[in-house]
Amino acid sequence: MTGFLDLYSEKDTFLHRLDPRVKLLAVALISVLAFILTELLYLVVLLCFILLLLVLARSSYGKAFFALKFVVRFMILITLLWPLFDRSGAPVLFSIGPLDITEPAVWRGATSAVRVGCFATLWYILMFTTSQRDLVRALVKLGLRFDYGLALAISFRFIPTFGLTIESIKDAQRARALELDKGSILRRSRNYVSILVPTIVYALRTADTLALTLQSRAYGAFSNRTYLREIRMRASDYVAMTVVVLILLLPALAKYIYGVQI
Amino acid sequence: MIPRPDADSEDRVIFLRDAKFTYESGVEALKGVTLVIDKGEYLAVVGGNGSGKTTLAKHLNGLLRPTGGQVLVMGVQASTRTVAELARVVGYVFQNPDHQLFCRTVHDEVSFGPANIGLDGPEVKRRADRAIAVMNLSDIRDRPPLSLTLGLRRRVSIASVIAMEPQVLVLDEPTTGLDAREADELMAIIRRLNDEGTTIVLITHEMKLVAEHANRVVVMMDGKVVLDSDTRGAFSDLGLLRRSKLLPPPVTQLAHRLSQIGVSKDILTPQELVFELTRGDDQ
Repeated sequence: MTGFLDLYSEKDTFLHRLDPRVKLLAVALISVLAFILTELLYLVVLLCFILLLLVLARSSYGKAFFALKFVVRFMILITLLWPLFDRSGAPVLFSIGPLDITEPAVWRGATSAVRVGCFATLWYILMFTTSQRDLVRALVKLGLRFDYGLALAISFRFIPTFGLTIESIKDAQRARALELDKGSILRRSRNYVSILVPTIVYALRTADTLALTLQSRAYGAFSNRTYLREIRMRASDYVAMTVVVLILLLPALAKYIYGVQI
Repeated sequence: MIPRPDADSEDRVIFLRDAKFTYESGVEALKGVTLVIDKGEYLAVVGGNGSGKTTLAKHLNGLLRPTGGQVLVMGVQASTRTVAELARVVGYVFQNPDHQLFCRTVHDEVSFGPANIGLDGPEVKRRADRAIAVMNLSDIRDRPPLSLTLGLRRRVSIASVIAMEPQVLVLDEPTTGLDAREADELMAIIRRLNDEGTTIVLITHEMKLVAEHANRVVVMMDGKVVLDSDTRGAFSDLGLLRRSKLLPPPVTQLAHRLSQIGVSKDILTPQELVFELTRGDDQ
């Protein structure tokens, strides 16, 4: 198994303490900023700022490496593929057969790659510093129906459990001499039935039990539910919110009111 | 002294030599286990939760590969064989039968394993029929296994493993969730398999099962074997068992309490205690 089932790790940094709603806002606004910026240089500056945040979030090297591996691969892919499909502009740098690789297209590719890098890294920082529970709490606070929030929280919660069960099912079938990657395509897909059926049965049984558990804990008995942990905006959250708004607002003003090329 | 792998006897089916295993998460589950299992033994591997007994069992059919030391199955390095190849020799019944049942009928379910090891049609049928007969499932051979009771589902899952006719049968907590009668029936069948020559490795923390069925007990604690003896010997050291988070069956505990009036401490069954006490009266 390679991936991390839960990206969040418990730390005590200002990014961890920040109200999750402010973090969601920050991701949204800084993403908009990445859209507004068109000059490669400024985008690189923005990416550096985001990477600085990643460092400040003190995410473990393992997780940061895991996350950046995908981001960097994706960025390289965009840079390489963009000029192949965008052939406008001059001068032509070189031609491969009928393909003309133009200089502006190469720059546009790099710009888009950095932009995507900004988006992805922002999301990773959010996931590194916000527990799934807080994220759901923030969404509910922002107006998501509690039922949907709970459903979301439960599905997050069960991802690792499901992963383990599927591993166990695979082991149980391998102990019956099942070889998943052997034989014809027909044979292989038949083999996967032996994993799929127990998995689905397990999922249905779990859902059934879960429904009973929720009911036995009076879920939905009262329409007006209260919360054990309320998330509340503190002074520092308002400061952070103001900073985030300014980070978007100032460059936007410069560009659209004063016509500065950024 | 650690026996050498080449000093191999005919009867030795499984040989772990200083086997170590560390999970990816860094948890050291086996810290050097040396264990010899001979043909026809009825061995119980006991220990508290997290003592490494299931990790140990998963090495016997190659589901896990030792990160240090060796595992030999029938004198061959297990690491050179696939799980499918080892499954012919070592059958492993998982604790939860629902992790493996998927077919439309009990008969199909039991045929899955033999078909996987590449046997031809008539042989698959012969083995499936035999396994169904052994596990007393003939009446329900055409029923869908997923709709049976837990006791029957567990019997189907065992049938589906013994249909491959392995020489060693590993059972992980086979009586969990069964009532007393279902458990007794199941253990009687397993005893019969052992009498017919199948080596049984029972993983459990149900000490009553161990006392009544196993011939040899391996106690595990913190990834190490802390005791390897015959069943009687295993129950004489209460302190060691307690440290291993185990409790002997009530009748053995009672015998320990009665030892001051001359009852021997290695009582395993109520019958033995009665015999011991009435013999005392005669004197």
